[in-house]
Amino acid sequence: MSVGRTNSIIVVGGGASGVVLAAHLLKSPHPDLRVTLIEKRPHFGQGIAYSTLLSAHVLNVSAAGMSAYADDPGNFWRWLQARGLVSQEQTPQTPFYAPRSVYARYLKELLDELEVREKGTGRLRLIREESLSISPTSSGVEVTLANGTSVVAHLAVLATGHDEQPGAGQGHAIRMGTEADTALDPEARVLVLGTGLSMVDAFLSLEQRGHKGEIVAVSRRGLLPSPHRKGNPIKLDVADIPFGTQLSYFVGWFRDLIRENQKAGIDWRDVVDGLRPFNQKIWQNWPSSAKRRFVEHTKAWWDIHRHRLAPEVHARVTEAVRTGRIRPVAGRVVGIEAGDGFSIDIQSRHTQALETLQVARIYDCTGIARDISTTSNSVVRSLVDRGLARPDPLRLGLDVSAKCEIIAGDGSVSAKILAVGPLTRGTFFEIDAIPDIRVQCARLSKQLLG
Amino acid sequence: MLTKKGKYGLKALVHLAQLPAGQLAFVGDIASGNNIPKKFLDAILGELRNAGFVQSRKGKEGGYRLARPADEIKVGHVVRVLDGPLAPIPCASRTQYQRCEDCNEATCQVRHLMLEVRQAIAEVLDQRTLAEMRDIVLDDLTVARGIDGLPLTQKVLA
Ligand SMILES: Cc1cc2nc3c(=O)[nH]c(=O)nc-3n(C[C@H](O)[C@H](O)[C@H](O)COP(=O)(O)OP(=O)(O)OC[C@H]3O[C@@H](n4cnc5c(N)ncnc54)[C@H](O)[C@@H]3O)c2cc1C
Repeated sequence: MSVGRTNSIIVVGGGASGVVLAAHLLKSPHPDLRVTLIEKRPHFGQGIAYSTLLSAHVLNVSAAGMSAYADDPGNFWRWLQARGLVSQEQTPQTPFYAPRSVYARYLKELLDELEVREKGTGRLRLIREESLSISPTSSGVEVTLANGTSVVAHLAVLATGHDEQPGAGQGHAIRMGTEADTALDPEARVLVLGTGLSMVDAFLSLEQRGHKGEIVAVSRRGLLPSPHRKGNPIKLDVADIPFGTQLSYFVGWFRDLIRENQKAGIDWRDVVDGLRPFNQKIWQNWPSSAKRRFVEHTKAWWDIHRHRLAPEVHARVTEAVRTGRIRPVAGRVVGIEAGDGFSIDIQSRHTQALETLQVARIYDCTGIARDISTTSNSVVRSLVDRGLARPDPLRLGLDVSAKCEIIAGDGSVSAKILAVGPLTRGTFFEIDAIPDIRVQCARLSKQLLG
Repeated sequence: MLTKKGKYGLKALVHLAQLPAGQLAFVGDIASGNNIPKKFLDAILGELRNAGFVQSRKGKEGGYRLARPADEIKVGHVVRVLDGPLAPIPCASRTQYQRCEDCNEATCQVRHLMLEVRQAIAEVLDQRTLAEMRDIVLDDLTVARGIDGLPLTQKVLA
């Protein structure tokens, strides 16, 4: 066991990824292990995804995918069962999309349990503070906190997740549920930038508040997410998949695969899900030109097929579109004039025609990824500014090695500062959701502690 | 199974990998230099171009060159494009599965072993780059030793 050398680890960010990582690290039996988890919010395990209290905000991954442990997929299910939150007739295979607030409670109780278990051992320490910077020292790392103190350890893992502020260039757009999101005239029309899962979240929140006005949702292609359906992913093997080709070749192969399976009566979802175990490998083997093209042209299509909605939520969205409550538009916002509300010019993707609309508010639901070099996160900012970290070539996150180590501005690989979760998108691509995050955390724990 | 198509394609790529970066080669030269029927080679290079491994230029000054540096092209990736899923025997493939007329795949020991062989093939071919394969020809002895030292070979034998 290599714990002798690196036995103290600071995890910066105690959202879902931070908690899942801490849980995996603490599986190590080593008595000298020291895990410090730092979170600026009042609650651990919530982060941006699981802090919502709205019961209509349900998980978009079924219960079996949401266990915190990579090697125990039934963990969340058993927790649900023990609390009577699923009925006895339901099996782990029954699709079940728990409210996200329930998931937050699961992670909270999981951490509470670890805290109790480790009470006398000193192996787990929770700090409720914002971390401002991480600096390598001769013996490890020093993490400074907003209260003026600092913590030292052998290494630090960034789990700071998503940016909380809208990206630059979103102008007057605000995020739902933030301070700027004040009371609205219930009849007013609102504009939502984005037509994906975040737009759906915003719609559900507006409904909950009794909002009646039209919701105009704009994205380049105007595509809405697809619904989940109970299925059985097809089985693929590395031997089958054309790795390392140009994007168009791969997409052609994948479309053929879907077509052949559909001929055999298999749902496209089962094909998309069958590819999942290989997605990181596919991404990593693409030449950079294919990665870039994918992000620019194919990702929108992929996202609506890959990141799907719970069927009940999809039904509500479909109904809202049918009755005109939501109007999805494929196009671009080409002009915004602020006055009493906003006057918005939207250019249609298909007809190029301009449409001018009056809206009371603009919500930024363009998704959670944004150029990391413009991040509002203090720790990430300071690492990038000092050249200790750099954006990955596509600016999806931080540049990290296949072992999650941060890569500095000069290309050198850090042995002391690592990252997990959405920050590592550039290298792992599909690393936003728990089923992928838990595998990454399990691997990293093994890598660090043996 | 590596077909003639796969073999010719790899030979053509090695040929291109031996040229100075960016230099184009005529199809005729590649064909005669490697004993490949020219018509067949045209088709093979066309497929390799579609998959993004080579680029072509038309006309008198035309020809083919690698689309990426040889050390960024994995041999296994090329073979999949030319020959389809890696499989030592048609019943050991998932997407191109072909049932054997004369046996029961669930109980066929041969097939089970061949599934393992499939893994081994993928592991070897997906680790080796075109540059490594090109350099094999230069020094047979070190290569033979190098292959012996691969952890994979041990895995296959174990
Ligand atoms: C609306 C939404 C719904 C989602 N639904 C699902 C789902 O159903 N299933 C699924 O698998 N995935 C879902 N996801 C994907 C989601 O990315 C992950 O499940 C997960 O939330 C990622 O967690 P994280 O901890 O990496 O990031 P975050 O949730 O962003 O958490 C990061 C944490 O770090 C803290 N932090 C940041 N900077 C500092 C600092 N400087 N000092 C101290 N603390 C800091 C933050 O306060 C936060 O708590 C959803 C995402 C969103 C946005």
